[in-house]
This record gives sequence, C-alpha cells and structure tokens, in this order.
Amino acid sequence: MPYLLRRFGHAIFLLIGVSALAFAFTVLSPGNYFDEMRLNPQIAPETIAALKTQYELDRPLPIRYAHWVSSVLHGNMGFSFAYNSPVAPLLLVRARNTLLLTITAMLLAWGIALPLGIWSAEHQGGVSDRLVSSGTAALMVIPDLALALGLLVLAVKSGWFPTGGMVSLHFDDLSFLGKIRDLLLHMTLPVAALVLSVLPLLIRHVRASVAEVLDAPFLLAAEGHGIPRRTLLYRYALPAAANPLISLFGFSVGTLLSGSLLVEVVMSWPGLGPFLLEAILARDLYVIIGGVLLSTLFLVGGNFSADMLLYWADPRIRAEARN
Amino acid sequence: MKGKGAISNWIVVLLALHAIVILAGFFAPYDPTEQDRKSPYQPPMRIHFVDAQGYFHARPFVYQLQPREGSYDQYQENIARSVPLKFFVQGERYRLLGFVPSHLHLFGAENERICLLGSDSYGRDQLSRFLYGGQVSLFAGLLGAGITLFLGLGVGALAGFYGGWRDDLLMRLAELFLALPWLYLLFALRAFLPLAVGPLQAFFLIIAVLGAVGWARPARLVRGVVLSAKERDFVRAARGFGATSGYLLRRHILPEASSVLLTQAAILVPQFVLAEMTLSFLGLGVPEPVPSWGSLLSSLEQYSVLVSCWWMYLPALMMVPFFLGYLGLGSRLQQYGEPYKIGK
Amino acid sequence: MNTAGHDGNMQPLLEVENLVKTYSRKKFAGTREEVRALDNVSFTIFRGTTLAIVGESGSGKSTLGLCLACLEKPTSGLIRFEEKDLVRLGEKNLRAIRRRVQMIFQDPASSFNPRWTILEILAEPLALQGTLGRDEIRPRAHLVLQHVGLSPDMEEKLPRELSGGQRQRLAIARALMLDPELLILDEALSALDCSVQAQIANLLIELQSARSMTYLFITHDLAMAGHLGDEIAVMSKGRIVEQGAPDKMLKQPENEITRQLLAAAPRLDFAGPPISES
Repeated sequence: MPYLLRRFGHAIFLLIGVSALAFAFTVLSPGNYFDEMRLNPQIAPETIAALKTQYELDRPLPIRYAHWVSSVLHGNMGFSFAYNSPVAPLLLVRARNTLLLTITAMLLAWGIALPLGIWSAEHQGGVSDRLVSSGTAALMVIPDLALALGLLVLAVKSGWFPTGGMVSLHFDDLSFLGKIRDLLLHMTLPVAALVLSVLPLLIRHVRASVAEVLDAPFLLAAEGHGIPRRTLLYRYALPAAANPLISLFGFSVGTLLSGSLLVEVVMSWPGLGPFLLEAILARDLYVIIGGVLLSTLFLVGGNFSADMLLYWADPRIRAEARN
Repeated sequence: MKGKGAISNWIVVLLALHAIVILAGFFAPYDPTEQDRKSPYQPPMRIHFVDAQGYFHARPFVYQLQPREGSYDQYQENIARSVPLKFFVQGERYRLLGFVPSHLHLFGAENERICLLGSDSYGRDQLSRFLYGGQVSLFAGLLGAGITLFLGLGVGALAGFYGGWRDDLLMRLAELFLALPWLYLLFALRAFLPLAVGPLQAFFLIIAVLGAVGWARPARLVRGVVLSAKERDFVRAARGFGATSGYLLRRHILPEASSVLLTQAAILVPQFVLAEMTLSFLGLGVPEPVPSWGSLLSSLEQYSVLVSCWWMYLPALMMVPFFLGYLGLGSRLQQYGEPYKIGK
Repeated sequence: MNTAGHDGNMQPLLEVENLVKTYSRKKFAGTREEVRALDNVSFTIFRGTTLAIVGESGSGKSTLGLCLACLEKPTSGLIRFEEKDLVRLGEKNLRAIRRRVQMIFQDPASSFNPRWTILEILAEPLALQGTLGRDEIRPRAHLVLQHVGLSPDMEEKLPRELSGGQRQRLAIARALMLDPELLILDEALSALDCSVQAQIANLLIELQSARSMTYLFITHDLAMAGHLGDEIAVMSKGRIVEQGAPDKMLKQPENEITRQLLAAAPRLDFAGPPISES
C-alpha cells in the first residue's frame, strides 16, 4: 500500500512539475501574448484590458501560478481567445475523443502484439518468426506520416471509409445501431493508423522479453520436470516476463498519445491534436497549456496504471515494498 | 567479424544515400523553388525508349505534357515533342555544398522542363524538391539528434559520476521531460517561440527545439552506464595512481557510454527526421519556399489532391530507403553492442 | 612464510589508529540507517613483513583495504605513513604518496579496462604519475612483465585473452610499475583455481624478498593467511577481535570467530598438524 501511495505522490509531483514548467514557458516566451492579441482585430481592446487584470499580469509569478492552479482545480482552465469561451468544456470534449481513439488503439495493438510476440518467441528462428520479423521491419520503416496519408489515399480510392471527422452529418438521425456503425466506420482509419505505427515496436519488444524468459534456466528446469507446454507458457514464462511487459505498456501509452496528435490532424478526427494545433497557430495561450496538461495527465495516468499493474503482478515489488 | 561487416554495409548504404542528398545540386535537374505556373500538378513524365512510330532509341526520352482538350488539370503526352534525356548537362547554376559554384547536373534537357516525379501546384519539380528537401529534413534530424545526445551525455555523466543532490535534481528534471508525450512537448516548445520567422532562423529554431526535447532518455541510459563503470576496479585502480575525475571520465567512463550512445543515435535520428517532417507538414516548420520532406506532403491534406494527384505521395515512398538504412544500422548496433531493454 | 620474523629492528611502515568508517544508507521511507564498516581499528604494519587481515564478508576488511589505499575516506581516525596522516592529506599531497601504496583487487575480470592493451594498462600508472618519459615506459613494462612471469610479447594483447592467473600476474605487474613500498592485496587469490593460487602466492613471496616490499593481505581464508602472513589479524563486524603470530593463532585460537574461520578452511598440510589433534 505505501508503495502505491508513493507512486501516486510521484504522479502528482510530475503533474505539478509539468504545469509549473508550462507556466514558466508562457512567461519566458518572447513577446507578451496580449501584445500579439492586440494585433488581432477580432478581439476587442476592452476584452484585452479586462483579461489583463483578470490574469494579473502585474502580480509576481508564483502568485499567478498559485491562483491558476487553484482555479484549475475548481474546473476553470482559462479562457480561449479564439473561441471566446472557457477552455475547460472545449478541451474535455476533445479529450474524450482522443481517449476514445487512443484506448481503442491500445487494446487492439496489445491484442495483436501480445499473441504474435509470444508466438514468435516460441518459434524463434522458424519461418513464421522470420515472416513476423520482416513484416515488422517493413512497417517500422514507413514514417508515421506516410502511413496515415497512405491509409487516407486507400480510403479515398476504395470509398469504403469516410475520410474525416468523427461522425457523419446525419448522425443524429441514425438509429442506435446505426450510430454505433457510423462511429466505428469513422474510427477505423485513425485507429488503424495508430495501431500500425506502434505495432512493430510492441511486437519486437514482446518477442524479445518473452524470448529472454524462455531461455532462462528455471524454465528449462521446469520443462525437465515434464510440465506441459501450455502450462509452462502461461504459468511460468509469462508471469516472469510480466515486469518488462508492463513497463512496455507504460511506454506505449506515451507513444500512442504522441502518435494520436498527428493521426488526428491528418484524419481530421476532432481530438486534442487538431485543437492544439489550431491554438498554436492562433496563439491561444490557455488552450495550449490546457491541452499540454491534459495529455500529460493521460500519460501520467497510464504510467500509474502500469505501476498498479506491476504491484499486482510482480510479488517481488510487493516484497520490496514491505521492507 | 561478421557483426562488424554487416554494420559497415549499412553505414556505406546510408552514406551513399546521404551523399545524393548532400549533392542535391548535382542530382536534381532544377532549383526547387523555380516555378512553372503553366504546368501545375503535372503527373510524372514517363521514360520511353521506343517512340510512337516504333523506333528504338538508345537514349531515353520523355514526351512533353500538354493539357488535355477541354480540361485544365488533365495532361496527356504530346508525341510531337519528344525531349531526349541528356546526362551530365550544363544546367542552371547552383552551389555545391553551399559554396562551390557549378553548372553540371546529372541529367536534364536543354531548354525544356522534365518532371520525372511530377510537379506541384506551383509547377515546381518534385524530384528536385525531394532532394533539396532531404537536406533540410535529414540534417535537421541529424543535428537535432546530435544536440540531444550531447545534452544527454553531459547530464547523464554529471548525474552518474557525482551522484548526490545533482543526481536527484537532474533525474527529477528528466522525469518531468518524460512525463509529456514527446510530440506534445515538441509542439508546446515550438508554440512558445516566434512563428513567423525566416527559413534559416526557423531551421535553427527547430533544431534547438528538437535537441531540447529528447535528452531525458539518453541521459538516463548514460547515467546507468556511468554508475556501473564508476564501481569497476580499473577505475579504482586509476584513482589509486592519482587520476583526477576528469581523467577518469575522459579515458575510462565515457568511452563505455559511447556504445550506448551510438545505438541511441541510430534510433533517434529517424525519429527526429520524422519530427521535423511533422512540424513542417503542419506548418510549424521550415516555411515556404524552402522545401522539406514534410512540406512536400502537405498538399495531400487537400481532398482534391489526395484523390487525383497520386504522384504527390511518391516522396513518402522515396524516404523509405533512408529510414530503412537507419533502422538496419540501429538493430545491428544493438545486437553487436549491449542490448538495452525497457524494464524497471 | 617470510623469514623477517619478529625482531627488534623492525620499523613500522604504516600505523592505523582508531579508524572509523560509517556509511549512511537511505531507507525506504526516508529514514537513514548507519552502518559501521570500521569500528575503531588500530594496528601497525612493519616494513618488509606481511600482515594478513582475515574475516568473513561484511567484516569490514575490504573497506579497511580501500581506506589504507586512500580510495575511501575514513570518517575518523588516523593513518600514519612517514610522519604524515593520510586521512587529512589533500589530494595534491596524496598524489606523491599514492606511488608508494598500491592495491591489487579480487576480480581479475574487472581490474582492467577491457579495451586497453596490456602495454597501455601497464603504462597508465607511470603516465599518471609523470615519472618516466614515453620511451622509458616500454622497456620498464617489459622488465616488470618478466618479473611476474609473463612474456613481453603479450604487450599488444587484450585482458580477455589472458587466463585468470595471468591476469592477476598482470595486476601485480601493474602495481609494481611504480615500485611501491606497500602492496594491499584484497582477496587477490580468492578468484583463482587452487593450483594457480599456489603459483601466485609463491610469486608474491619471491617479489617480497627481492624488492623488500610490505604486504597487507586481505582474505577470508585463514589457512592462506597463515601461509603468507607474518602476523594475522582477525576481523569481525568492523573490529579486530584477535591478532597474533600465525603458529599460535592456528593452533590455539582464542576467539570464537577465529575458531569458526579455522573450521571453515580445512587443509591437508599448511600451518601445522590437523586441528583435531591439538
């Protein structure tokens, strides 16, 4: 239990640290944001003045940061100049969409990588192993951008999948099943792009970790006892490989989140990615900070889940924590 | 040694590919910014050896393209105008490696425009843009990775060798940098820098940003190597002979870290090239008219281009050999050196 | 066994007084744990003799060796070497002393930088001390190699091409490059095969009389200590629990720890008749 508490505290520390860094960046960045906003004809000077006092540009930095943190904790993440509305509701909708994509891709990618990696590790050097190796190598060599664009070209040429957006225009008119079907159709390409970009890495690492365990002396000893292959794999080998695999899981969360940024923009999926990009081009400060913070939250959350999984799965961690 | 032979093969391949890009002036027929507004979105010209009458020509040639009857965006070959491909031609002036003036191009046609990979919306030759674009993307990636590894080496060595509060502070900082998905971090950093800058400034800005993003992972790896090397008896022995910390780092500890760094380099460079491409693709990278592999693909964001101009996708395929080279080198180095794993 | 014996003409080379070394470890919840590796250790090493320090793992003997070689700083206490206190000496002044005290480590595999050739390994101490010119280093290296029983032809080889025994000879050679007065051997024979142990032990004895060197021999093997040492000190938990001449200690051990160590090292012949007969 104290182990988990420590990991949780660690996660909180990370969130605070990142938010402080992000906040510091906004101050250090050349040029006052409000000066740039003045150049934007869409924003009235009175708004700028009001925002300036509201955001306390004249107060010292630590105080501004403290106030900002407390307002964030109350659900107020600042104001979007481009959308002329509070940031939090805008971000949360986009975040939900990104999570939908990322979690689906995660499940699918691991669902393919785990069995395939284990199979490869079992049949090292065989024909199937080499096929998988070449396949992953071929995939790894294609840049993610090219992969996403390629899938888009495929969609266009075949006409099977919609080429953008999350739902069709007539979504609300559809039946319940129709809605699900529509959503799934729209999701297919982005999820495919994400899965294909991260799959080769996952397969290779799963294969490596499992192969290493399969070569371990204790497994050889168990085999010598006449334990059947299935049991050997699931009750001896996999638990031993759990540690690096769970760490890989934590790592894959980060990779998928990064990948989702690009995929969302290319496939016009209304997630955090395109929103963040827009905000950057429009110099919409609080959206940028909010978006970065949310993505960090997801990554830290993912890693904390990995920590919890590890605690549950690896008795050595529990033993170490007890001492 | 078999392992070493394979590594040098990959290095040779990579060097050859990079040489082509470095010498883009020679290999490309045209200046990448040269426009031809009368021929936007031309498909690639096909190379023929046999002409319409069935005669065989030893010298390959292409047919000039002209707009199809009644259409402004469909092209067809004009069999009346055949343009022979000449090699080692005198073409436009350029500066090889940036300072050697030259006229010589690998291939070209005297006064005609040949677009072997097609042209973009401004009529610019895609092949030339690909080669010059490679200069920007590859070298942004290489330099960015170099800076990151240098930073990672410094931080890792400092943290590992001196330990104590320095170690704690630096590793906490590294964790903060790793707490953000790296593309988000990259974008955030880019966001807080001026957006509307000239090409050269943008180039260096991007390299700086790339360098500042990725140092955390190499730093942790180097720290691990330094920690274990520090405890080795030969380091103790050297101290027993009166070695200073600087000597120990320089002659014993850091060389151990170099093999880890090399493997990291082969993995980081393609990642950074991809990062530069992503930035440029989205308009946050090197601005027009300087080509970059990312901006080459940006026109594909438009539906009409996606549907009808298939050749605009070709640069993506042509990048594959480069990534293949880095990947091959990286996996060979990993097998040869110390395999590192992702584990707690 | 060294025939220098205990006579009144012996000069002390190194005196250790009340040496203490504590390590503090950070425990899980932020508390600190203090471990006393050396707890008020005092003894004298006489010139030309061998003092053997015997103890189990964790007794502090390795820490003692590192402190004497100035590779670890003691928490308190005194190490007197030629009128100087090594504990309080700054690094600059320590450099001159380092020449005279050299250490040989237990693990032949990690004693050398695996990428360096034998010549480079031997040249390092002289290069660092700056005593000889470049052209003089190589002939000296050849000479030293011959003294330890290795061939000068090996100078271009890498450490991994040598056997365990050859590597320890190389370690001794490297230590001899600076012509030290005191050699600290930290379990130098423990990682070797039995027959090789005997060979290297004999080499050490030869070198000691040829060069009038003093040894501090750290080991867990009481029998080996008896074979090589003029005096034995038994350590346990950071303290010296018994000290004396080998004959007496091996036949009539006073301390319980000594008895346990003796029982753990059965030998066929060495320092006298079998234990059961005493």
